[in-house]
Amino acid sequence: MNALEIRNLVKRFGGLTATNDLSFDLAQGESLGLIGPNGAGKTTVFSQIMGELKQTSGTITFMGREISGLSTPDRIARGISRTYQVPRPFTDLSVRENIRVGLMPDSLRAMIFGTVDRAREDEIAHSVGFATTDLDRPASELAMGDLRKLEFARTLATGAKVLLLDEVFAGLTTGEIAMIAELIQDLRGRGFTFLMVSHDLPAMEPLIDRAIAIERGTLLADGSFKDVLANAEVRASYLGEA
Amino acid sequence: MPGLAQTLFITASGAGMNLRPHHFILWALFIAGMLLMPELVGRGTLRTMVFACYLAIFAISWDILSGRTGYISFGHPFLVGIGAYTTAILTRRYGFPVEASIPIAVLVTMFGGLIVLLPALRIKGSYFALVTLAVMELMYQLVPVVRPDLTGGTRGISRLPALTRGAENGYYLAVCLMLAVALFAWLLMRTRLGTALWAIGQNEESVRGSGLSTTRLKSFAFLVSAAIAGLGGAFYAHYLGTITPRAFFDINVLFQIIVAVLIGGAGTILGPIIGAFFMVFLLEWLRPFLPGQERFFVYGAIALLIYMYQPKGIMAIIESGITRLRGART
Ligand SMILES: Nc1ncnc2c1ncn2[C@@H]1O[C@H](COP(=O)(O)OP(=O)(O)O)[C@@H](O)[C@H]1O
Ligand SMILES: [Mg+2]
Repeated sequence: MNALEIRNLVKRFGGLTATNDLSFDLAQGESLGLIGPNGAGKTTVFSQIMGELKQTSGTITFMGREISGLSTPDRIARGISRTYQVPRPFTDLSVRENIRVGLMPDSLRAMIFGTVDRAREDEIAHSVGFATTDLDRPASELAMGDLRKLEFARTLATGAKVLLLDEVFAGLTTGEIAMIAELIQDLRGRGFTFLMVSHDLPAMEPLIDRAIAIERGTLLADGSFKDVLANAEVRASYLGEA
Repeated sequence: MPGLAQTLFITASGAGMNLRPHHFILWALFIAGMLLMPELVGRGTLRTMVFACYLAIFAISWDILSGRTGYISFGHPFLVGIGAYTTAILTRRYGFPVEASIPIAVLVTMFGGLIVLLPALRIKGSYFALVTLAVMELMYQLVPVVRPDLTGGTRGISRLPALTRGAENGYYLAVCLMLAVALFAWLLMRTRLGTALWAIGQNEESVRGSGLSTTRLKSFAFLVSAAIAGLGGAFYAHYLGTITPRAFFDINVLFQIIVAVLIGGAGTILGPIIGAFFMVFLLEWLRPFLPGQERFFVYGAIALLIYMYQPKGIMAIIESGITRLRGART
């Protein structure tokens, strides 16, 4: 079964077409790389899938159900979640509390009367590479690398099994990239589904089964990573620029 | 129990504070001091303290919504006013006993706030502030003219039944009500709901992106805030005995509530209380020198000074003072 089916997706910002009749599938358990130059419309696709932006037209089907009418929290409750390219931490909250917000069920009753699962918070924090001493630090004190890890941790905490990762490696050291890559591999082994965007192609290559390339919101190629990179249009738009 | 400490004393660093004995000691001293007060001070001071207690209740109410979520309400005097007017009209015009009129006043405040202000919560913060301000002004204009037979017009309603006899009992009632409200707010804010509200104030998009329906959370915070405002307003009305539109739907009331929270420390429980007492006593001391409205100017200036020195308020100043003291000892 396909986790995601995007059909004829269009998003216009005034005169600008940020997503142009885009269609692609993401199978359950698959890991798909989304590549394209800056401003190609990758983040905009994520925002539409999550319902943070309403598409101009086209459909988004998640696990066999058209989700365009659902709110962002409802989509997350169905099992899809994203990270933000620019991390959006809760700066006055600790690392642990940031993760707690992701872990909370969307129910007032559970939030008030339920108990905090500290063991699970620890587990998620450690899985992205935080040390125990980091857990009570406020997010305002974290450097970019740690903010990315926190962003990943909060997304993971929502319990979603389909994760959209937007530039998860940007601003990370080689050691941190290796750590996050290892976590992604581990999650793939456990059946998670990924759609990821990264400018670091060598880091992304081993993590994906397939790739799609877009430029100005338009699909250029869909296939194996090697084939997509070999595509003449992709080379012109993407590699030509870099 | 880090949640407990965080709820009470979110400080400059904000997160990860562990519960320290001095938190308990501060609270114990505070409560003991409050209860012993009638032995120590005169009638006039006691009366000032009653005003401070009610202001503290309104400040806690405001902080639950605005201090946490960042949705600044300019409409809290309106909520307090609904509570006060409802119990006044029910007791004086329809002969309700206070046991019935006060709970009804709380419900009417929640309901009234719901209809008028809740739609505004769906829009962004600055618009929310404007809409709430407009509603308060509207009430000030409307209350005297719509059904003056009920509201008493500009002269208001007088001879409300008293809840207590004697200055001391009025004081104890106000203190107990304030402590009960503080305890309730503290228990609620140390739950995950409190964390979520605090998170909304920092990045609402990200809270939605974490799977939480922020409109529902904000509405809930609003209803709790309105209930406390209505409860405080109703008790306050019976304490005063006479209510007028000027005493509630007034920009100065709003100003006092917000400044009390800001200088005391938003997002804490003790902060709004300290802020309220600071404000009321400051105003009282300034009265002989500055009898008119210009007192509020001095007030604003002092609030601004504290804010410039420590944006998180007096609570954070006390916290860092204690930390420094401990550092000096060891
Ligand atoms: N909210 C918006 N309003 C107007 N234009 C936008 C908005 N968001 C993105 N865009 C434009 O859409 C295009 C695609 O942006 P984006 O999806 O962020 O690209 P990418 O993530 O591939 O770098 C860019 O030209 C960008 O300027
Ligand atoms: Mg982007």
